[in-house]
Amino acid sequence: MRQTWKRRLSVLLAAVLLLGAVGCSGGGAAAGGKEQVRLMVWSPSEDQSKDSGEWLQTCCNNFAALHPEWDITFVYGVADEATAATTVSQDAEASADVFLYSNDTITTLTDAKALAKFGGKYADEIASFTSQALLDSVTLDGYLYGVPFTTNTWYMYYDKSVFTEEDVKSLDAMLEKGVVSFPFTNSWYLPAFYFANGCTLFGDGTQEELGVDFGGENAVEVTNYLVDLIANPNFVVDADGSGMAGLRDGSINAIFTGSWDSASIKEILGDNMGAAALPAFTLNGESKQMLAYAGSKAVGVNAHAENMVAAVELAVYLGSAEAQRLHYELRSVIPSNTDLLEDENVKNDPVVIAQNDTFDRTSILQPFVSKMGNCWSPVENMGKAIRNGSTTHDNAAEQTAAMNDAMNSDGIS
Amino acid sequence: MKKETTKSAKAIRTRNNVLIHILLAVLAFIWVFPVLWVIMTSFRAEKGSYVSTFFPKAFTLDNYIKLFTDTTILNFPKMFMNTLVIAIFSCLLSTFFVLSAAYCLSRMRFKMRKPYMNMAMILGLFPGFMSMVAVYFILKAVGLTEGSLIRLALILCYSGGAALGFQIAKGFFDTTPYAIDEAAMIDGCTRWQVFTKITLPLSKPIIIYTILTSFISPWVDFIFAKVICRANADQYTVAIGLWKMLEKEYIDNWYTCFAAGAVLISIPIAILFLKLQKYYVNGMTGAVKG
Repeated sequence: MRQTWKRRLSVLLAAVLLLGAVGCSGGGAAAGGKEQVRLMVWSPSEDQSKDSGEWLQTCCNNFAALHPEWDITFVYGVADEATAATTVSQDAEASADVFLYSNDTITTLTDAKALAKFGGKYADEIASFTSQALLDSVTLDGYLYGVPFTTNTWYMYYDKSVFTEEDVKSLDAMLEKGVVSFPFTNSWYLPAFYFANGCTLFGDGTQEELGVDFGGENAVEVTNYLVDLIANPNFVVDADGSGMAGLRDGSINAIFTGSWDSASIKEILGDNMGAAALPAFTLNGESKQMLAYAGSKAVGVNAHAENMVAAVELAVYLGSAEAQRLHYELRSVIPSNTDLLEDENVKNDPVVIAQNDTFDRTSILQPFVSKMGNCWSPVENMGKAIRNGSTTHDNAAEQTAAMNDAMNSDGIS
Repeated sequence: MKKETTKSAKAIRTRNNVLIHILLAVLAFIWVFPVLWVIMTSFRAEKGSYVSTFFPKAFTLDNYIKLFTDTTILNFPKMFMNTLVIAIFSCLLSTFFVLSAAYCLSRMRFKMRKPYMNMAMILGLFPGFMSMVAVYFILKAVGLTEGSLIRLALILCYSGGAALGFQIAKGFFDTTPYAIDEAAMIDGCTRWQVFTKITLPLSKPIIIYTILTSFISPWVDFIFAKVICRANADQYTVAIGLWKMLEKEYIDNWYTCFAAGAVLISIPIAILFLKLQKYYVNGMTGAVKG
């Protein structure tokens, strides 16, 4: 017994010492001539995977070749756009110099003072290849906080053998011909109906003091419409992936989701895959256009970056036409560069058309004021209440007013 | 008459037994149901996260194969090894800490004994992750939050507080008569020798119990690993990997693999339990006696 214990203990101690020694032996050797630059870059793991062409590594190597004045060491890390903000704001100093983030997390980053502003020639360069709407999505109080490289929104995928291109312009026409599934209980999707009938969030999206307007007669009309919609046998609630499963077994003909599902849908529907901007629906005899939340994904630079010039240059490069084209070719990330969108291959891709059409025509910019945080649960609860049948025509007015109150309150009264 | 009463008593007993067994069977089914479902999902051939049938329409091993071959996005084998290494080392360290602390508190009398036991009791009332942020910044200050040192950082995290969980082992040691220790010391043993040559060989059950519990906690931990690993994907543990598989971008392709991963991580624990089961029960009863 004693022997084994001793052996175990000594193995353990040796391991600890070894690990410690490895830790100390790292550290910088300097070379003459070029300036030593260390850049930590974070991106989703697909951008770094061999199977999808190592977009990040390729771009970084190209960037290094463009800048012979620097001897750059790249350190790669994994953080996807949606959660990068949380990871960076946890400890900005020990985070990446350049990272990708989605614009709805911009306030998390600025509150943590983790996001550098772009100005001067860099801002001009970014503006030269980016649409104004997209620039607005990463602008806060007049400052530009990133290089947008793609739009981020949801739209409709449908089975071309069931719906014609004319059908998909109207939800009512679609419901007559096939089964449509919609993430009814997800508050990223459901407000599309309310926006259609003139409901607003924080004025134009930046006026926090104006609050939420999801009340009044127009909102009640929408609630009533939704109560009828859920009763339609051709309308199915998409929750926990049931829409995708329905598409797979053929029981559902259209679903609402984003570019992240396009590969799976392509696999299911093949040549019958159609993608389109959101349809309109008929409310009290008038046609109302559904409006999705839209945002963007952008390259951000850490305000604590040691070598700011190199970091900003790299960010601009990662958002450039060249990098976007590669991103599109390797991973079908939809480009946003205005010149690139004129390219024949890009222009004719149905998913690109659908996403950009949604962004331009059938969406509103998702507000990122901090009170936006109060807006998610009440809408989700409304969706669930309508689905469960607890919100009906009888109490629609009351329930809508309650939702509006909840969206305008911090939950502390 | 007499015969009839015994018969009816027997009948009542049988009826009660039947009722109880039906109840137990229902409870057992409810308990096993989710486990069964995960196992079946792990062999499911249909893709996607949502199915309309309880039993898969077709079975396949592809989910397991994908888990170990499709490593470019989520490197499961690497995560599995990371977790295994971390769990084994934490297990060794914390077992040593726990047994040492328990031995000292059981066998020696010193001024801080009572205060230490009270302090451990009170500290034990707080959840460990309360100190998470502080732990992160301390590890960062020491320089353990980058590269492969993260593994060491996690090992330290999981084993550092182990000495506070001495109660059960102490209770067990209390049951071994002090006279044995005295006899050994009269024969010339040092404290260390008493501990290693007398106490430990007599305490197999509690050693096993300590090993089991201190292996499982790092094996299944999510929260510390998430805070400390951050963007270092090559240091991820299985808990983070499994969580990643359920994110919006991956869920449709990785859901069945997630179930396969869940089955796989339960295997080492299951083996440990099966091998050490008899000691485990002894360990717990010993503690109750103490």
